Amino acid sequence: MSGNSDLLLVTEKGWRRGLNNLLDNEFAGWFKTKMWWIQCIIWVSVTGFMLAGVMFSTPDFDIKEGMMIFSVFMGLFPAIGVVIIMQDALVGEKSEGTIAWILSKPASRPSVILSKVTANSLGVLVTMVLVPGLFAYGLFCYYTKTMLEPLPFLSAFGVVFISHLFYLTLTLMLGAFFNGRGPVIGLGLGLLFLQQYLIAAVPALGYFLPWKLVVPLNNGTDAIVPALLRGDPITSFLPIAVVFLECVLFVAISLWRFNREEF
Amino acid sequence: MMEEKTPTVISIRELSKTYKNVAALKPLNMEVRQNSIFGFLGPNGAGKTTTIKLLLGLTRPTAGNASVFGMDVAKQSVDIRARIGYLPQEPRFYEHMSARETLRFVAKFFFKGPNKAIEARIAEMLDLVDLTEKADRPMKTFSGGEKQRLGIAQAQINYPDLLILDEPAASLDPIGRRDVLEVMSRLRKHTTVFYSTHILDDVQKVSDTVAILNKGVLVAEGPIEELLAGSEGIIYLVHLKGDADTAVNLVKSQPWVSGVKTGIHGDETTLQVSVSDPAAAEAQLLKLLVNSPVVVTEFRLKQYELEDIFMQVVEGGQNVRK
Repeated sequence: MSGNSDLLLVTEKGWRRGLNNLLDNEFAGWFKTKMWWIQCIIWVSVTGFMLAGVMFSTPDFDIKEGMMIFSVFMGLFPAIGVVIIMQDALVGEKSEGTIAWILSKPASRPSVILSKVTANSLGVLVTMVLVPGLFAYGLFCYYTKTMLEPLPFLSAFGVVFISHLFYLTLTLMLGAFFNGRGPVIGLGLGLLFLQQYLIAAVPALGYFLPWKLVVPLNNGTDAIVPALLRGDPITSFLPIAVVFLECVLFVAISLWRFNREEF
Repeated sequence: MMEEKTPTVISIRELSKTYKNVAALKPLNMEVRQNSIFGFLGPNGAGKTTTIKLLLGLTRPTAGNASVFGMDVAKQSVDIRARIGYLPQEPRFYEHMSARETLRFVAKFFFKGPNKAIEARIAEMLDLVDLTEKADRPMKTFSGGEKQRLGIAQAQINYPDLLILDEPAASLDPIGRRDVLEVMSRLRKHTTVFYSTHILDDVQKVSDTVAILNKGVLVAEGPIEELLAGSEGIIYLVHLKGDADTAVNLVKSQPWVSGVKTGIHGDETTLQVSVSDPAAAEAQLLKLLVNSPVVVTEFRLKQYELEDIFMQVVEGGQNVRK
Protein backbone atom coordinates (compact mmCIF):
# COMPACT_ATOMS: atom_id res chain seq x y z
CA MET A 1 0.00 0.00 0.00
CA SER A 2 1.58 3.26 -1.06
CA GLY A 3 1.56 6.46 0.97
CA ASN A 4 0.71 4.93 4.36
CA SER A 5 4.24 5.07 5.80
CA ASP A 6 3.26 7.55 8.53
CA LEU A 7 0.51 5.25 9.81
CA LEU A 8 0.70 2.02 11.80
CA LEU A 9 -1.16 -0.72 9.99
CA VAL A 10 -3.55 -3.03 11.80
CA THR A 11 -1.78 -6.36 11.94
CA GLU A 12 -4.40 -8.71 13.41
CA LYS A 13 -5.14 -11.69 11.18
CA GLY A 14 -7.98 -14.17 10.86
CA TRP A 15 -11.06 -13.95 13.07
CA ARG A 16 -9.58 -11.16 15.23
CA ARG A 17 -9.28 -8.77 12.28
CA GLY A 18 -11.52 -5.75 12.93
CA LEU A 19 -12.54 -6.93 16.41
CA ASN A 20 -10.97 -4.04 18.35
CA ASN A 21 -12.57 -1.42 16.14
CA LEU A 22 -15.96 -3.12 16.21
CA LEU A 23 -15.77 -3.53 20.00
CA ASP A 24 -14.97 0.19 20.36
CA ASN A 25 -17.94 0.98 18.15
CA GLU A 26 -20.35 -1.31 20.03
CA PHE A 27 -19.17 -0.09 23.44
CA ALA A 28 -19.54 3.50 22.25
CA GLY A 29 -23.13 2.68 21.29
CA TRP A 30 -23.82 1.74 24.92
CA PHE A 31 -21.57 3.94 27.00
CA LYS A 32 -20.78 7.05 24.93
CA THR A 33 -24.42 7.83 24.22
CA LYS A 34 -27.42 8.37 26.49
CA MET A 35 -28.27 4.66 26.09
CA TRP A 36 -26.60 3.51 29.30
CA TRP A 37 -28.23 5.99 31.66
CA ILE A 38 -31.64 5.69 30.02
CA GLN A 39 -31.45 1.92 30.49
CA CYS A 40 -30.30 2.39 34.09
CA ILE A 41 -33.25 4.68 34.83
CA ILE A 42 -35.72 2.28 33.18
CA TRP A 43 -34.56 -0.79 35.08
CA VAL A 44 -34.04 0.93 38.42
CA SER A 45 -37.61 2.23 38.02
CA VAL A 46 -39.08 -1.10 36.92
CA THR A 47 -37.35 -3.28 39.50
CA GLY A 48 -36.22 -0.99 42.34
CA PHE A 49 -39.13 1.43 42.54
CA MET A 50 -41.71 -1.35 42.15
CA LEU A 51 -39.96 -3.27 44.92
CA ALA A 52 -39.92 -0.13 47.06
CA GLY A 53 -43.62 0.35 46.37
CA VAL A 54 -44.46 -3.16 47.54
CA MET A 55 -41.99 -2.97 50.44
CA PHE A 56 -43.21 0.27 51.94
CA SER A 57 -46.93 -0.13 51.25
CA THR A 58 -47.36 -3.66 52.64
CA PRO A 59 -47.93 -3.92 56.38
CA ASP A 60 -45.63 -6.50 58.01
CA PHE A 61 -43.71 -6.90 54.77
CA ASP A 62 -41.87 -10.23 54.72
CA ILE A 63 -38.30 -9.61 53.58
CA LYS A 64 -37.96 -13.17 52.20
CA GLU A 65 -41.12 -12.66 50.17
CA GLY A 66 -39.60 -9.38 49.00
CA MET A 67 -36.49 -11.19 47.78
CA MET A 68 -38.65 -13.54 45.74
CA ILE A 69 -40.56 -10.62 44.21
CA PHE A 70 -37.29 -8.85 43.43
CA SER A 71 -35.96 -11.99 41.72
CA VAL A 72 -39.05 -12.19 39.50
CA PHE A 73 -38.83 -8.46 38.64
CA MET A 74 -35.11 -8.72 37.87
CA GLY A 75 -35.44 -11.94 35.93
CA LEU A 76 -38.42 -11.22 33.71
CA PHE A 77 -38.85 -7.52 32.93
CA PRO A 78 -35.28 -6.73 31.79
CA ALA A 79 -35.35 -9.94 29.71
CA ILE A 80 -38.05 -8.27 27.59
CA GLY A 81 -35.68 -5.31 27.17
CA VAL A 82 -32.83 -7.63 26.20
CA VAL A 83 -34.91 -9.22 23.41
CA ILE A 84 -36.02 -5.81 22.10
CA ILE A 85 -32.48 -4.39 22.11
CA MET A 86 -30.89 -7.47 20.60
CA GLN A 87 -33.43 -7.93 17.78
CA ASP A 88 -32.01 -4.73 16.33
CA ALA A 89 -28.37 -5.74 16.75
CA LEU A 90 -28.21 -7.89 13.63
CA VAL A 91 -31.57 -7.61 11.88
CA GLY A 92 -31.55 -3.80 12.12
CA GLU A 93 -28.07 -3.57 10.69
CA LYS A 94 -28.86 -6.09 7.97
CA SER A 95 -31.92 -4.14 6.84
CA GLU A 96 -30.13 -0.78 7.02
CA GLY A 97 -27.20 -2.14 5.00
CA THR A 98 -24.54 -1.19 7.55
CA ILE A 99 -23.46 -4.79 8.09
CA ALA A 100 -22.66 -5.20 4.37
CA TRP A 101 -20.72 -1.93 4.53
CA ILE A 102 -18.69 -3.12 7.53
CA LEU A 103 -18.01 -6.45 5.84
CA SER A 104 -16.61 -4.65 2.80
CA LYS A 105 -13.81 -3.48 5.14
CA PRO A 106 -11.12 -5.75 6.57
CA ALA A 107 -13.34 -7.10 9.33
CA SER A 108 -13.92 -10.81 9.84
CA ARG A 109 -17.44 -12.11 10.24
CA PRO A 110 -16.73 -13.65 13.67
CA SER A 111 -15.54 -10.23 14.87
CA VAL A 112 -18.97 -8.77 14.06
CA ILE A 113 -20.78 -11.40 16.15
CA LEU A 114 -18.27 -11.40 19.01
CA SER A 115 -18.26 -7.60 19.30
CA LYS A 116 -22.04 -7.59 19.56
CA VAL A 117 -22.11 -10.36 22.17
CA THR A 118 -19.37 -8.76 24.27
CA ALA A 119 -20.55 -5.15 24.24
CA ASN A 120 -24.23 -5.96 24.67
CA SER A 121 -23.48 -8.41 27.47
CA LEU A 122 -21.55 -5.75 29.34
CA GLY A 123 -24.28 -3.18 28.66
CA VAL A 124 -26.93 -5.56 30.01
CA LEU A 125 -24.78 -6.53 33.01
CA VAL A 126 -24.23 -2.92 34.03
CA THR A 127 -27.60 -1.36 33.25
CA MET A 128 -30.03 -4.23 33.79
CA VAL A 129 -28.34 -6.21 36.55
CA LEU A 130 -25.70 -4.34 38.56
CA VAL A 131 -27.19 -0.83 38.80
CA PRO A 132 -30.79 -1.89 39.58
CA GLY A 133 -29.44 -4.76 41.70
CA LEU A 134 -27.30 -2.46 43.84
CA PHE A 135 -30.25 -0.09 44.19
CA ALA A 136 -32.39 -2.98 45.44
CA TYR A 137 -29.61 -4.13 47.78
CA GLY A 138 -29.59 -0.63 49.26
CA LEU A 139 -33.36 -0.82 49.70
CA PHE A 140 -33.17 -4.15 51.52
CA CYS A 141 -30.43 -2.78 53.80
CA TYR A 142 -32.46 0.35 54.47
CA TYR A 143 -35.62 -1.63 55.19
CA THR A 144 -33.95 -4.15 57.49
CA LYS A 145 -31.70 -1.46 58.98
CA THR A 146 -28.80 -3.91 58.74
CA MET A 147 -25.84 -4.26 56.42
CA LEU A 148 -26.85 -7.43 54.57
CA GLU A 149 -24.20 -9.91 53.45
CA PRO A 150 -23.28 -8.75 49.89
CA LEU A 151 -21.98 -12.10 48.56
CA PRO A 152 -25.42 -13.79 48.20
CA PHE A 153 -26.63 -10.72 46.32
CA LEU A 154 -23.60 -10.74 43.99
CA SER A 155 -24.08 -14.48 43.35
CA ALA A 156 -27.76 -13.85 42.61
CA PHE A 157 -26.85 -11.03 40.21
CA GLY A 158 -24.51 -13.45 38.43
CA VAL A 159 -27.32 -15.96 37.93
CA VAL A 160 -29.74 -13.22 36.79
CA PHE A 161 -27.09 -12.17 34.28
CA ILE A 162 -26.80 -15.72 32.92
CA SER A 163 -30.57 -15.78 32.52
CA HIS A 164 -30.42 -12.50 30.54
CA LEU A 165 -27.46 -13.83 28.56
CA PHE A 166 -29.69 -16.69 27.43
CA TYR A 167 -32.17 -14.27 25.82
CA LEU A 168 -29.36 -12.09 24.50
CA THR A 169 -27.57 -14.90 22.68
CA LEU A 170 -30.86 -16.53 21.63
CA THR A 171 -32.06 -13.28 20.00
CA LEU A 172 -28.69 -12.75 18.34
CA MET A 173 -28.84 -16.27 16.94
CA LEU A 174 -32.37 -15.70 15.63
CA GLY A 175 -31.12 -12.47 14.04
CA ALA A 176 -28.47 -14.47 12.22
CA PHE A 177 -31.17 -16.70 10.72
CA PHE A 178 -33.92 -14.19 9.94
CA ASN A 179 -33.94 -10.90 8.06
CA GLY A 180 -37.19 -9.59 9.54
CA ARG A 181 -37.79 -8.32 13.07
CA GLY A 182 -41.10 -10.19 13.48
CA PRO A 183 -39.80 -13.74 13.86
CA VAL A 184 -36.89 -12.62 16.02
CA ILE A 185 -39.03 -10.73 18.54
CA GLY A 186 -41.87 -13.24 18.29
CA LEU A 187 -39.74 -16.28 18.99
CA GLY A 188 -37.65 -14.51 21.65
CA LEU A 189 -40.58 -13.15 23.66
CA GLY A 190 -42.68 -16.24 22.89
CA LEU A 191 -40.14 -18.46 24.56
CA LEU A 192 -39.76 -16.04 27.47
CA PHE A 193 -43.46 -16.25 28.36
CA LEU A 194 -44.32 -19.77 27.23
CA GLN A 195 -41.52 -21.61 28.98
CA GLN A 196 -43.40 -21.78 32.30
CA TYR A 197 -46.08 -23.87 30.54
CA LEU A 198 -43.49 -25.95 28.69
CA ILE A 199 -41.72 -26.76 31.97
CA ALA A 200 -45.03 -27.59 33.63
CA ALA A 201 -45.76 -30.02 30.79
CA VAL A 202 -42.24 -31.46 30.56
CA PRO A 203 -40.46 -30.87 33.91
CA ALA A 204 -37.05 -31.90 32.50
CA LEU A 205 -37.11 -28.71 30.43
CA GLY A 206 -36.54 -26.87 33.71
CA TYR A 207 -32.89 -27.78 33.32
CA PHE A 208 -32.66 -26.31 29.81
CA LEU A 209 -34.70 -23.13 30.10
CA PRO A 210 -33.78 -20.15 32.28
CA TRP A 211 -37.19 -19.67 33.88
CA LYS A 212 -36.40 -21.56 37.07
CA LEU A 213 -33.16 -19.68 37.58
CA VAL A 214 -35.18 -16.63 38.57
CA VAL A 215 -38.88 -17.51 38.93
CA PRO A 216 -40.22 -20.26 41.20
CA LEU A 217 -42.73 -22.57 39.56
CA ASN A 218 -44.42 -24.86 42.05
CA ASN A 219 -44.05 -24.40 45.78
CA GLY A 220 -42.04 -21.19 45.52
CA THR A 221 -38.77 -22.76 46.60
CA ASP A 222 -37.44 -24.19 43.36
CA ALA A 223 -35.84 -21.06 41.85
CA ILE A 224 -32.15 -20.43 42.33
CA VAL A 225 -31.95 -16.63 42.61
CA PRO A 226 -34.51 -16.26 45.50
CA ALA A 227 -32.78 -19.13 47.28
CA LEU A 228 -29.38 -17.45 46.90
CA LEU A 229 -30.76 -14.14 48.22
CA ARG A 230 -32.38 -15.81 51.21
CA GLY A 231 -29.35 -17.93 51.96
CA ASP A 232 -31.32 -21.16 51.44
CA PRO A 233 -29.52 -24.30 50.22
CA ILE A 234 -29.43 -24.79 46.44
CA THR A 235 -30.60 -28.22 45.36
CA SER A 236 -28.70 -28.20 42.06
CA PHE A 237 -26.42 -25.80 40.24
CA LEU A 238 -26.84 -27.84 37.07
CA PRO A 239 -29.47 -25.53 35.48
CA ILE A 240 -27.00 -22.62 35.72
CA ALA A 241 -24.30 -24.61 33.93
CA VAL A 242 -26.74 -25.91 31.29
CA VAL A 243 -28.15 -22.45 30.52
CA PHE A 244 -24.63 -21.02 30.31
CA LEU A 245 -23.59 -23.79 27.90
CA GLU A 246 -26.67 -23.04 25.83
CA CYS A 247 -25.51 -19.42 25.61
CA VAL A 248 -22.15 -20.63 24.29
CA LEU A 249 -23.97 -22.90 21.84
CA PHE A 250 -26.17 -20.03 20.61
CA VAL A 251 -23.07 -17.90 19.97
CA ALA A 252 -21.42 -20.79 18.12
CA ILE A 253 -24.54 -21.27 15.95
CA SER A 254 -24.68 -17.49 15.31
CA LEU A 255 -21.04 -17.57 14.16
CA TRP A 256 -21.71 -20.52 11.87
CA ARG A 257 -24.87 -19.02 10.37
CA PHE A 258 -23.45 -15.51 9.97
CA ASN A 259 -20.44 -16.96 8.20
CA ARG A 260 -22.78 -18.40 5.55
CA GLU A 261 -24.85 -15.24 5.17
CA GLU A 262 -24.78 -13.46 1.81
CA PHE A 263 -25.16 -9.71 1.44
CA MET B 1 12.88 -7.35 -26.78
CA MET B 2 9.80 -8.78 -25.08
CA GLU B 3 7.23 -6.27 -23.88
CA GLU B 4 6.80 -6.40 -20.11
CA LYS B 5 3.24 -7.45 -19.22
CA THR B 6 1.33 -5.29 -16.72
CA PRO B 7 0.52 -7.35 -13.62
CA THR B 8 -3.04 -8.61 -13.18
CA VAL B 9 -4.94 -7.27 -10.17
CA ILE B 10 -8.26 -9.08 -10.66
CA SER B 11 -8.45 -12.46 -12.31
CA ILE B 12 -11.84 -14.12 -12.80
CA ARG B 13 -12.19 -17.71 -14.03
CA GLU B 14 -15.56 -19.29 -14.87
CA LEU B 15 -17.11 -17.39 -11.98
CA SER B 16 -20.87 -17.80 -11.69
CA LYS B 17 -23.62 -17.06 -9.22
CA THR B 18 -27.12 -18.50 -9.08
CA TYR B 19 -29.84 -17.31 -6.71
CA LYS B 20 -32.70 -19.79 -6.30
CA ASN B 21 -32.28 -21.21 -9.82
CA VAL B 22 -31.87 -17.76 -11.36
CA ALA B 23 -28.44 -17.25 -12.93
CA ALA B 24 -27.35 -13.78 -11.86
CA LEU B 25 -23.92 -14.33 -13.35
CA LYS B 26 -23.08 -16.93 -15.96
CA PRO B 27 -19.51 -18.30 -16.14
CA LEU B 28 -17.42 -15.14 -16.35
CA ASN B 29 -13.78 -14.85 -17.39
CA MET B 30 -12.07 -11.50 -17.08
CA GLU B 31 -8.83 -9.84 -16.08
CA VAL B 32 -8.14 -6.37 -14.77
CA ARG B 33 -4.63 -5.02 -15.15
CA GLN B 34 -2.76 -2.91 -12.63
CA ASN B 35 -3.25 0.87 -12.81
CA SER B 36 -6.07 0.61 -15.31
CA ILE B 37 -9.40 2.36 -15.01
CA PHE B 38 -11.72 -0.51 -15.82
CA GLY B 39 -15.30 0.42 -16.70
CA PHE B 40 -17.77 -2.35 -15.98
CA LEU B 41 -20.93 -1.64 -17.96
CA GLY B 42 -24.30 -3.18 -18.28
CA PRO B 43 -28.01 -2.51 -17.94
CA ASN B 44 -29.75 -2.93 -14.57
CA GLY B 45 -29.74 -6.56 -13.47
CA ALA B 46 -26.82 -7.47 -15.75
CA GLY B 47 -24.80 -8.91 -12.86
CA LYS B 48 -22.38 -6.03 -12.19
CA THR B 49 -23.11 -5.67 -8.48
CA THR B 50 -23.16 -9.46 -8.09
CA THR B 51 -19.65 -9.62 -9.56
CA ILE B 52 -18.45 -6.87 -7.22
CA LYS B 53 -19.99 -8.59 -4.19
CA LEU B 54 -18.27 -11.83 -5.18
CA LEU B 55 -14.93 -10.03 -5.41
CA LEU B 56 -15.46 -8.55 -1.94
CA GLY B 57 -16.48 -11.85 -0.36
CA LEU B 58 -19.93 -10.52 0.51
CA THR B 59 -21.45 -13.40 -1.39
CA ARG B 60 -20.14 -16.86 -2.36
CA PRO B 61 -19.65 -18.09 -5.91
CA THR B 62 -21.83 -20.94 -7.14
CA ALA B 63 -18.96 -22.11 -9.33
CA GLY B 64 -15.60 -20.91 -10.59
CA ASN B 65 -13.16 -18.71 -8.77
CA ALA B 66 -11.64 -15.28 -8.69
CA SER B 67 -8.49 -13.82 -7.24
CA VAL B 68 -7.52 -10.30 -6.29
CA PHE B 69 -3.80 -9.54 -5.87
CA GLY B 70 -3.34 -13.28 -6.38
CA MET B 71 -5.48 -14.11 -3.32
CA ASP B 72 -8.60 -16.27 -3.51
CA VAL B 73 -11.76 -14.22 -2.93
CA ALA B 74 -13.50 -17.10 -1.18
CA LYS B 75 -10.65 -17.95 1.22
CA GLN B 76 -8.65 -14.74 1.74
CA SER B 77 -11.40 -12.19 1.59
CA VAL B 78 -10.33 -10.22 4.71
CA ASP B 79 -6.72 -9.90 3.49
CA ILE B 80 -7.97 -8.74 0.10
CA ARG B 81 -10.24 -6.15 1.68
CA ALA B 82 -7.28 -4.74 3.61
CA ARG B 83 -5.95 -3.51 0.25
CA ILE B 84 -9.25 -2.43 -1.29
CA GLY B 85 -11.42 0.65 -1.12
CA TYR B 86 -15.09 0.07 -1.89
CA LEU B 87 -17.97 2.40 -2.59
CA PRO B 88 -21.32 0.58 -2.62
CA GLN B 89 -24.10 1.55 -5.00
CA GLU B 90 -26.12 3.06 -2.16
CA PRO B 91 -23.71 3.97 0.64
CA ARG B 92 -25.17 3.27 4.08
CA PHE B 93 -23.58 4.67 7.22
CA TYR B 94 -24.50 4.86 10.89
CA GLU B 95 -26.99 7.72 11.13
CA HIS B 96 -25.79 8.80 14.58
CA MET B 97 -22.22 9.34 13.40
CA SER B 98 -20.87 12.48 11.78
CA ALA B 99 -18.84 12.36 8.56
CA ARG B 100 -15.63 12.68 10.57
CA GLU B 101 -16.64 9.89 12.96
CA THR B 102 -17.57 7.69 10.00
CA LEU B 103 -14.17 8.20 8.42
CA ARG B 104 -12.46 7.59 11.79
CA PHE B 105 -14.42 4.35 12.18
CA VAL B 106 -13.40 3.20 8.69
CA ALA B 107 -9.78 4.31 9.14
CA LYS B 108 -9.43 2.18 12.25
CA PHE B 109 -10.09 -0.98 10.26
CA PHE B 110 -6.78 -0.23 8.53
CA PHE B 111 -4.69 1.81 10.94
CA LYS B 112 -4.08 1.58 14.66
CA GLY B 113 -2.27 4.89 15.00
CA PRO B 114 -0.86 7.37 15.53
CA ASN B 115 -4.07 9.31 16.08
CA LYS B 116 -2.56 12.52 14.74
CA ALA B 117 -1.76 10.88 11.41
CA ILE B 118 -5.21 9.27 11.27
CA GLU B 119 -6.88 12.63 11.89
CA ALA B 120 -4.69 14.20 9.19
CA ARG B 121 -5.78 11.50 6.71
CA ILE B 122 -9.44 12.08 7.66
CA ALA B 123 -9.03 15.83 7.10
CA GLU B 124 -7.40 15.16 3.72
CA MET B 125 -10.28 12.93 2.64
CA LEU B 126 -12.92 15.40 3.82
CA ASP B 127 -11.16 18.09 1.83
CA LEU B 128 -10.93 15.85 -1.23
CA VAL B 129 -14.71 15.47 -1.37
CA ASP B 130 -15.42 19.01 -0.17
CA LEU B 131 -17.14 18.00 3.07
CA THR B 132 -14.84 19.76 5.54
CA GLU B 133 -17.50 22.28 6.56
CA LYS B 134 -20.06 19.55 7.17
CA ALA B 135 -17.65 17.14 8.82
CA ASP B 136 -19.19 17.27 12.28
CA ARG B 137 -22.85 17.20 11.35
CA PRO B 138 -24.76 13.95 11.94
CA MET B 139 -25.22 11.74 8.92
CA LYS B 140 -29.01 12.02 9.03
CA THR B 141 -28.70 15.65 7.84
CA PHE B 142 -26.74 14.62 4.71
CA SER B 143 -28.27 14.62 1.23
CA GLY B 144 -27.88 11.64 -1.12
CA GLY B 145 -25.11 13.40 -3.04
CA GLU B 146 -23.23 14.25 0.17
CA LYS B 147 -23.46 10.65 1.32
CA GLN B 148 -22.11 9.57 -2.07
CA ARG B 149 -19.17 11.96 -1.68
CA LEU B 150 -18.51 10.65 1.82
CA GLY B 151 -18.68 7.17 0.33
CA ILE B 152 -15.91 8.09 -2.07
CA ALA B 153 -13.83 9.53 0.79
CA GLN B 154 -14.22 6.42 2.97
CA ALA B 155 -13.31 4.20 0.03
CA GLN B 156 -9.98 6.00 -0.32
CA ILE B 157 -9.06 6.44 3.33
CA ASN B 158 -6.49 3.62 3.17
CA TYR B 159 -4.96 4.73 -0.15
CA PRO B 160 -6.11 1.40 -1.59
CA ASP B 161 -4.26 -0.57 -4.24
CA LEU B 162 -7.62 -1.32 -5.81
CA LEU B 163 -10.64 0.94 -5.72
CA ILE B 164 -13.97 -0.73 -6.46
CA LEU B 165 -16.76 1.71 -7.15
CA ASP B 166 -20.33 0.57 -7.76
CA GLU B 167 -22.08 3.33 -9.71
CA PRO B 168 -19.92 6.11 -8.21
CA ALA B 169 -21.58 8.99 -10.02
CA ALA B 170 -25.16 7.78 -10.09
CA SER B 171 -26.58 10.23 -7.56
CA LEU B 172 -24.26 13.16 -8.22
CA ASP B 173 -24.99 16.38 -10.07
CA PRO B 174 -22.89 17.21 -13.17
CA ILE B 175 -20.23 19.03 -11.12
CA GLY B 176 -20.04 16.18 -8.64
CA ARG B 177 -19.72 13.73 -11.51
CA ARG B 178 -16.92 15.73 -13.07
CA ASP B 179 -15.11 15.83 -9.70
CA VAL B 180 -15.42 12.06 -9.29
CA LEU B 181 -14.03 11.47 -12.77
CA GLU B 182 -11.13 13.82 -12.01
CA VAL B 183 -10.37 11.95 -8.79
CA MET B 184 -10.43 8.65 -10.66
CA SER B 185 -8.07 9.95 -13.34
CA ARG B 186 -5.72 11.30 -10.67
CA LEU B 187 -5.66 7.99 -8.85
CA ARG B 188 -4.61 6.03 -11.92
CA LYS B 189 -0.91 6.51 -11.07
CA HIS B 190 -1.27 4.83 -7.68
CA THR B 191 -4.35 2.66 -7.89
CA THR B 192 -6.33 0.35 -10.10
CA VAL B 193 -9.93 1.53 -10.44
CA PHE B 194 -12.67 -1.01 -11.17
CA TYR B 195 -16.05 0.66 -11.43
CA SER B 196 -19.50 -0.19 -12.60
CA THR B 197 -21.72 2.35 -14.25
CA HIS B 198 -24.42 2.86 -16.78
CA ILE B 199 -23.31 6.43 -17.60
CA LEU B 200 -21.56 5.72 -20.88
CA ASP B 201 -20.26 9.24 -21.33
CA ASP B 202 -18.24 8.93 -18.11
CA VAL B 203 -16.75 5.63 -19.21
CA GLN B 204 -15.64 7.06 -22.53
CA LYS B 205 -13.98 9.98 -20.72
CA VAL B 206 -11.86 8.13 -18.18
CA SER B 207 -11.69 4.38 -18.79
CA ASP B 208 -8.88 2.65 -20.59
CA THR B 209 -10.54 -0.78 -20.54
CA VAL B 210 -14.20 -1.66 -20.75
CA ALA B 211 -16.29 -4.76 -20.20
CA ILE B 212 -19.99 -4.98 -20.97
CA LEU B 213 -22.15 -7.43 -19.11
CA ASN B 214 -25.66 -8.33 -20.23
CA LYS B 215 -28.00 -10.78 -18.51
CA GLY B 216 -25.08 -12.23 -16.58
CA VAL B 217 -22.94 -12.75 -19.68
CA LEU B 218 -19.83 -10.83 -20.68
CA VAL B 219 -20.63 -9.61 -24.19
CA ALA B 220 -17.76 -7.20 -24.83
CA GLU B 221 -14.37 -6.59 -23.33
CA GLY B 222 -11.25 -4.78 -24.40
CA PRO B 223 -9.27 -1.55 -24.50
CA ILE B 224 -11.68 1.29 -25.11
CA GLU B 225 -9.96 2.48 -28.33
CA GLU B 226 -10.35 -0.97 -29.84
CA LEU B 227 -13.99 -1.21 -28.87
CA LEU B 228 -14.66 2.23 -30.26
CA ALA B 229 -13.03 1.19 -33.52
CA GLY B 230 -15.96 -1.21 -33.87
CA SER B 231 -16.33 -4.90 -34.37
CA GLU B 232 -16.18 -4.74 -38.15
CA GLY B 233 -12.44 -4.04 -38.19
CA ILE B 234 -10.92 -0.83 -39.44
CA ILE B 235 -13.15 1.16 -41.73
CA TYR B 236 -12.35 4.43 -43.49
CA LEU B 237 -15.19 6.85 -44.18
CA VAL B 238 -14.70 8.84 -47.38
CA HIS B 239 -16.94 11.54 -48.85
CA LEU B 240 -16.17 12.49 -52.45
CA LYS B 241 -17.51 14.35 -55.46
CA GLY B 242 -16.89 13.52 -59.12
CA ASP B 243 -16.40 10.19 -60.94
CA ALA B 244 -17.13 7.89 -58.00
CA ASP B 245 -17.30 4.67 -60.08
CA THR B 246 -13.71 5.00 -61.23
CA ALA B 247 -12.55 5.76 -57.69
CA VAL B 248 -14.49 2.80 -56.25
CA ASN B 249 -13.04 0.39 -58.83
CA LEU B 250 -9.55 1.69 -58.14
CA VAL B 251 -9.97 1.23 -54.38
CA LYS B 252 -11.52 -2.24 -54.77
CA SER B 253 -8.53 -3.39 -56.83
CA GLN B 254 -6.12 -2.88 -53.91
CA PRO B 255 -5.05 -6.12 -52.16
CA TRP B 256 -5.43 -4.55 -48.68
CA VAL B 257 -9.09 -3.58 -49.25
CA SER B 258 -11.56 -6.17 -47.99
CA GLY B 259 -14.79 -4.38 -48.95
CA VAL B 260 -16.34 -1.14 -50.09
CA LYS B 261 -19.87 0.07 -49.35
CA THR B 262 -21.20 3.07 -51.23
CA GLY B 263 -24.01 5.52 -50.67
CA ILE B 264 -25.16 8.68 -52.41
CA HIS B 265 -26.11 11.87 -50.55
CA GLY B 266 -26.99 14.69 -52.96
CA ASP B 267 -24.00 15.30 -55.20
CA GLU B 268 -21.68 13.43 -52.82
CA THR B 269 -20.82 9.77 -52.75
CA THR B 270 -19.96 8.13 -49.43
CA LEU B 271 -17.58 5.18 -49.27
CA GLN B 272 -17.03 2.89 -46.30
CA VAL B 273 -13.75 1.15 -47.04
CA SER B 274 -12.95 -1.92 -44.94
CA VAL B 275 -9.24 -2.70 -44.89
CA SER B 276 -7.25 -5.80 -44.02
CA ASP B 277 -3.88 -4.07 -43.72
CA PRO B 278 -4.23 -0.88 -41.66
CA ALA B 279 -0.65 0.26 -42.32
CA ALA B 280 -1.00 -0.02 -46.10
CA ALA B 281 -4.36 1.70 -45.98
CA GLU B 282 -3.00 4.54 -43.87
CA ALA B 283 -0.11 5.05 -46.31
CA GLN B 284 -1.94 4.66 -49.61
CA LEU B 285 -5.70 5.14 -49.49
CA LEU B 286 -5.89 8.93 -49.37
CA LYS B 287 -3.06 9.28 -51.92
CA LEU B 288 -4.91 6.91 -54.26
CA LEU B 289 -8.14 8.88 -54.05
CA VAL B 290 -6.48 12.27 -54.41
CA ASN B 291 -4.81 11.06 -57.61
CA SER B 292 -8.11 9.76 -59.05
CA PRO B 293 -10.70 11.95 -60.86
CA VAL B 294 -12.62 12.87 -57.66
CA VAL B 295 -12.58 15.59 -55.02
CA VAL B 296 -12.25 14.20 -51.50
CA THR B 297 -14.38 16.33 -49.15
CA GLU B 298 -14.00 14.18 -46.02
CA PHE B 299 -11.64 11.39 -45.06
CA ARG B 300 -11.50 9.76 -41.62
CA LEU B 301 -11.42 6.54 -39.68
CA LYS B 302 -14.86 5.38 -38.65
CA GLN B 303 -15.21 5.74 -34.85
CA TYR B 304 -18.09 4.43 -32.82
CA GLU B 305 -19.49 6.11 -29.75
CA LEU B 306 -19.54 3.82 -26.73
CA GLU B 307 -23.29 4.10 -26.78
CA ASP B 308 -23.34 2.52 -30.28
CA ILE B 309 -21.25 -0.39 -29.07
CA PHE B 310 -23.35 -0.76 -25.94
CA MET B 311 -26.60 -0.81 -27.91
CA GLN B 312 -25.15 -3.24 -30.46
CA VAL B 313 -24.05 -5.76 -27.87
CA VAL B 314 -26.91 -5.36 -25.42
CA GLU B 315 -29.81 -5.14 -27.84
CA GLY B 316 -28.29 -6.94 -30.80
CA GLY B 317 -26.85 -9.81 -28.79
CA GLN B 318 -23.43 -9.46 -30.44
CA ASN B 319 -20.24 -10.51 -28.77
CA VAL B 320 -17.23 -8.23 -29.00
CA ARG B 321 -14.07 -9.51 -27.32
CA LYS B 322 -10.78 -7.72 -28.04
